Amino acid sequence: MTTPTRTIRLVLVDDHHMFRTGVKAELAEVPEAANLEVVGEAGTVDSAVRVIKETRPDVVLLDVHLPGGNGRGGSDVLTGCAGLTTEAGQPVRFLALSVSDAAEDVIAVIRAGARGYVTKTISGAELARAVTRVADGDAVFSPRLAGFVLDAFGAAAGEIAEVDEELDRLSAREREVMRLIARGYQYKEVARELFISVKTVETHVSSVLRKLQLSSRHELTAWALSKRLL
Amino acid sequence: MRVDPDRTLRGPWSWAGSVRSGSGVGQDGGVTSPVTPNRPPLRRPADDRVLAGVASGVARHLGLHPTAVRVAFAAATLAGGLGLAAYLFLWAFVPEDSQPPVPGPGARRGRQVPQALLGLVVAGGALVLLGGALLLQGRGVNLRLDLFAPLLVIAVGALFAWTQLDEATRRRWLPSEGDGSGGLLRLGLGLALAVAGLIALATQGRDIADLWSVLVAVLVVLAGVAFLAAPWAVRLWNDYRAEHAERVRATERADIAAHLHDSVLQTLALIQRRAHDPGAVTRLARAQERELRAWLYAGAPAQTETLAGAVTRLAHEVEDLHGVAIDCVVTGDRPLDPSANALLGALREALVNAVRHGAPPVSAYVEVGPEEVAAFVRDHGPGFDPDDVPEDRLGVRESIIGRMTRHGGSARVRSLDRGTEVELVLPLAATDGAPPRAAGAPTTQHSRGKARP
Repeated sequence: MTTPTRTIRLVLVDDHHMFRTGVKAELAEVPEAANLEVVGEAGTVDSAVRVIKETRPDVVLLDVHLPGGNGRGGSDVLTGCAGLTTEAGQPVRFLALSVSDAAEDVIAVIRAGARGYVTKTISGAELARAVTRVADGDAVFSPRLAGFVLDAFGAAAGEIAEVDEELDRLSAREREVMRLIARGYQYKEVARELFISVKTVETHVSSVLRKLQLSSRHELTAWALSKRLL
Repeated sequence: MRVDPDRTLRGPWSWAGSVRSGSGVGQDGGVTSPVTPNRPPLRRPADDRVLAGVASGVARHLGLHPTAVRVAFAAATLAGGLGLAAYLFLWAFVPEDSQPPVPGPGARRGRQVPQALLGLVVAGGALVLLGGALLLQGRGVNLRLDLFAPLLVIAVGALFAWTQLDEATRRRWLPSEGDGSGGLLRLGLGLALAVAGLIALATQGRDIADLWSVLVAVLVVLAGVAFLAAPWAVRLWNDYRAEHAERVRATERADIAAHLHDSVLQTLALIQRRAHDPGAVTRLARAQERELRAWLYAGAPAQTETLAGAVTRLAHEVEDLHGVAIDCVVTGDRPLDPSANALLGALREALVNAVRHGAPPVSAYVEVGPEEVAAFVRDHGPGFDPDDVPEDRLGVRESIIGRMTRHGGSARVRSLDRGTEVELVLPLAATDGAPPRAAGAPTTQHSRGKARP
């Protein structure tokens, strides 16, 4: 976790003005979000790319469904901002936000480079924690995304990678972490349950995220193909 | 030549229009001019027609019997061709009845009877004409058959071709009508006749050797016309496609609007009325969200046939009953069979327990593995010591833990820092030999979207 003194610059991208206002109001109320600063907002793909390039924020809160661009919503923003860094030299990181829990919608933005996914029903404190986590380069998985990962990698059926580096399957530890997240555990609780540090949990989740982005497992490939990502 | 005696017997012309005679048919008829209430506008009807519906339309407009009009046209045609000219003129300028032809067997039958008779009528008319012409020729009257015969052939050819084109426009060029080959045949026949007539006209009194050059010239001219008309035809076609697409979109929009009206707007109205009751509002919003989601992502597998579907449905039921949201995640799947009933029953109790005594958020995670089904229900309430449960929860505990152990499974209640977790495990191998489906096999042909609420 970051030190509370560091300010995290945030850009909100959502085509619903009311939702952006709501997020801002909610973040202003919770103490966890004291170090978050909203520096920009956008409602379409094109304005989002422009605003993000101008402000170079730490984290972009990115709606999955957006008008404009090439019609692929959040993925287009990620493509348009590829390689962008903040003034400190860190990459601009993206956290996907959606009202839809359908994994197919989310997998596109994850594979396009988003560092995590939360649903719009998330509480303000949870959202602030997720943003901080993403700003630190870690990944954020919702229980449903974890369930999807377990399904897609065959881990629910008992498939386990022989070596951790294998892209098409989860390691035993990663599977345990994903299962606990799917059960609704916070990272802290996962860490205690598995007798590991929170940092290790974050490492495992980031590793799963990398596999999710890079794996050529046929379920993921089929998705990517159907979403014209490949 | 459009006389069709049989048609006097049928025809739905029982309505009594005001019979007016003398007033010219007029090209202004019905298109723009105001029409008296009991006189329909001059249109060519789509249903009752022998050739192009001109006679029938005129009859409707004037309140006459169609057969009478047809006889009049035929008579006028025999007397110097005036009838033919008038017919063609009206055909060209009187719009079709915009009301689409009624689909179904009735409409088709209506067209098939005259279709069969048409040939007879045309043949009979041609014979009468031919006989009359020969008779006159024999009496020494020069009818200049060398000139009129080719013209007649052209006219018949054009008639065939135009009839086809006319029908084509009437049906919006939809190929689904199924008489495409017959229509094309008629079109081709008509064109061939017209070309033959043109050639005969052009080669009058010339050597047969010139025929080829004339034929080539005609073909070149036709090709040129086709070439010139192509952009226009393409534009027409594109217009039609665009209009069709627009119509489809409009229909879709109407469907969506109807659905939103029936579901979302009704729920919003309910929510406004019950704004003072947060529980009810949450429940309504949640149920509506689920319904809308199911509608948006229609095509999800049938909810009740698989274990994952049953679990999801169960979670929804508990949600609706108690108004607390449950974050339900299911991985893997297998067919629903009675062996899973114990697990479903215990899971239901655990969920009810969590929403009633625990605190939100409540999450449920069900993992359907190859050998066992594991279910986890977690809440964030104050927690409790399983050995020190209040009286009312003893029964719940019995129906969770007792039920699972009776069916060869196990149940465990754990107190966490924040909240309680109930863990249910039911081995599958012991209950039946059927291999688990989908996610069970290593080469998982896995079912996505099942965990969707």
